[in-house]
Parts: sequence; structure tokens; C-alpha cells
Amino acid sequence: MLLPKFEFHEPATVEEACRMISELGGKMKILAGGTDLFVNMKKKLLAPDHLVSVDRIESLAQLDASNGSLRIGSCVKAAVIAESDAVKSAFPALHEGASKLGSPLIRNLATVGGNLVSARPAADFPPPLMVYNAKLVLKSSQGERSVPLTDFIHAPGQTALLPNELLAAVLLERPAAHSGSAYIKLGVRQALEISLVNVAALLTLDPSNGVVTGARVVMGSVGPTPLLSVSAEKALLGEKPSDALFSAAGEAAASDSKPIDDFRASAEYKRAMVRELTRRALASAFDRVQKQ
Amino acid sequence: MKKMICLTINGKEYELAVAPNMTLADLLREELLLTGTKKGCELGECGSCTVIMDGRAVNSCLVLAVQASGKDITTVEGLETEEGLHPLQKKFIENGAIQCGFCTSGMLLSAKTLLDKNPKPTEHEIRTAISGNLCRCTGYQKIVESIKDVSEGR
Repeated sequence: MLLPKFEFHEPATVEEACRMISELGGKMKILAGGTDLFVNMKKKLLAPDHLVSVDRIESLAQLDASNGSLRIGSCVKAAVIAESDAVKSAFPALHEGASKLGSPLIRNLATVGGNLVSARPAADFPPPLMVYNAKLVLKSSQGERSVPLTDFIHAPGQTALLPNELLAAVLLERPAAHSGSAYIKLGVRQALEISLVNVAALLTLDPSNGVVTGARVVMGSVGPTPLLSVSAEKALLGEKPSDALFSAAGEAAASDSKPIDDFRASAEYKRAMVRELTRRALASAFDRVQKQ
Repeated sequence: MKKMICLTINGKEYELAVAPNMTLADLLREELLLTGTKKGCELGECGSCTVIMDGRAVNSCLVLAVQASGKDITTVEGLETEEGLHPLQKKFIENGAIQCGFCTSGMLLSAKTLLDKNPKPTEHEIRTAISGNLCRCTGYQKIVESIKDVSEGR
């Protein structure tokens, strides 16, 4: 299976990359890990005249943890995120998302930035990053701007990224004290799987009375984009954690989901799985708060 | 237009001119005749093209030859030393972990990166490490046992 012909560019800095991107415009694709791009090019779905590889730009490949907050360069590999102790301890749902993406071989190539810009509804990075209120740094020759991830993904394959922009980094603030989080992916096999449904959840408790003061539930594969469940959040806030509460939040999340019938599963089954995975993700998040 | 690349493959340095759209898998097989690296799906799903690049196992069908410039590559041909076959290769043969053989080089290289990092893996860790490598003969049990045997010095 041959790749269509293209011209290959390998800028050394973000500035140089931004300049090339705006000069080459629509005839160009940005190459990060290549695990989606090359597949689409081999299938002849894409045939860009130019590839601008940002894979060797050092500043984009850095994962910095300071005071609990994280700055993840867009070209950091999924494997590096999965192996990071800073991620594992403070952002366990992100650790789980990074560890479930593709296969070990794919995780050694695929980048967080590529996963977000590809904007697939079943992607493993958006739900965990959304429960942590991730912000994205978008750079162009004109400057930079910051966009919340919840506003970034517009539709399958469509994002807020402008044609002259490069996704440079993902920023995460440390969750409030007494928070727990988890990510669960459901597929028919353990590796190289596109999620039937995936759910990330975050819970924050008031330590004095145990009441939920913060909650976020994000569902993937059950809508054109990953969906933040407002109803689940409403059901959880101000209540005391219990199995019954988590089940009710699961019901609420299921009512917010918009699954479709397709070859992977029926809409009815996916909705039922949103209910169950939300319950389990919340129980796991609660368990983690208690173990702190 | 071809691009010049320099890379190390199995300890040997190469300086080559390659087309930008040539994958690392094709460079190895077609240009350098290192045909131990197999091509199966060519979409990153089967793992038969696995090579080790700077210590990490990757699908060489999803890496451009130009992206491998400056990198250190190990293919299955690089596992054998003057002392003979790699312990994993010996165990695979001894245990009958090779049926048709198409997945074998990828399995060996994924297993090698696992044991280099984690010399005493659990069975779950072994199965996870080879989860990107498909064996269509479904001979997983003997592959897992062979990796376990090497890790336990048997």
C-alpha cells in the first residue's frame, strides 16, 4: 500500500512551522505521530501536496509538571503520558485514557495533539482531558490563543483550529483537593479497539460533610463529539456519594447521550452502556478520593 | 525529490537517499533487503512490521524513512549476536511458538522491548506488551510461555 507523493518539510521550531503552515495553506497537512494521517493517505482519503512534520520540534515533545499542573506538548507520545508518574498520581483518568489508546506500538507513535485534532467521536484523549478542564494553546505567526477543549471539537474531524494554526500544547490545572477521577473504555477487545462507549468522570467532595461539590462526566462514541453530561453533573452536585446516586447519575448521563445505531452496536445498547460505565467510573473516582 | 538520511540499523550506519513517501518498512525490505520485517495490514493494526526505534517498538509501516533519520533501529535480523540466536528466539523455537512465522519477528521485538524495561513481567504485562501484534495462527499461549521462560531464566 503506497503513500501518495508529497513534499516533506521538517521545521526545527514552532515559529518556522507556523510560517510554513500559513504559506502552504490548504495543500498541506501537519504530521505529528502519523498513525491516523498515514492510514488515511494509504486509503487515498487524503493526498496532501506537502507534509509539515512537527515531530522533531523539541518544545512540542515536552511534558512539564509543576505544582500539580501539567503542560503537555502537542507532540508528546501517548506512551510517554501513560508512563508519567505525575500523570498517574494527579490525573488518573488521563493515565487510563493514554494507556488504552491503540496498542503499545501505536502509543509509541501517536501524539496527544494528533488525537485531539483528528477529532474522532470515539477518541481516547478527549473525555479524560475534558473532565480536567483542559485548555489548548493554539499558535500561529500572528500570535497565540487559548481555547477550552470543550469548545475545540466541533464535529467529527472538525475543530476550532484555523488553517494557519498549530496546536502547541494542552494545559491542565490540578483538580481541587479531595477529587477523584477515572476513565473507562468499552470495546469488544482489549487493544487496537475503537470504543463502543467511553466515559470519564471526576468527583470533588467537601471533606467536612462528604457532599459532592464538583462533578464532571464526559461520554465518547455516543454523539458527533465527546459530550459533557450537564444532567449527570446536576444529579451529583450537593448530594452524598452512594451507589444509588451513581446509578441516578448514570441514568442522567444516558439521557444526555445521542448514540446512533451502527455496525458496532445499537443505540439502545450504547445508551445502556453509558448508564453502566458512568456508574462504574463514578464509583472508581469516589474510591480514589477515599484512598487519598 | 529524494532526501538524504543517516540512520543506524542493527548497529550499522547507513547514509541513504530516499523518496519522502517511502515508509521505513519499505526501506528495510525493498532497499536494504532486510525482509525479516514483514508487511501485513500496512495500517498499524497487525504489528508484523514491528521494529525497535530508539528503544521503543513501533509499526514501521507508519513511519517514514525520512522520519527515521538519526534514529537507532533494530530489526529481527539484529537480534542474533556472535553467541548465536537471542534467548527469545531460542525459546520460541524450543516451545513451538512459531507456526506460520509471519508474526514472529514483530512478537520477538515487542517482547524484547518489554524485557529490556521490565525483566520480570507478569503474564498480564506480557499479554499487554504483545497486544499490538496479531498471530493469525492464534498461537498466543506458546508465545506468552516463551517470553515468560526467558524472563524466568528457564
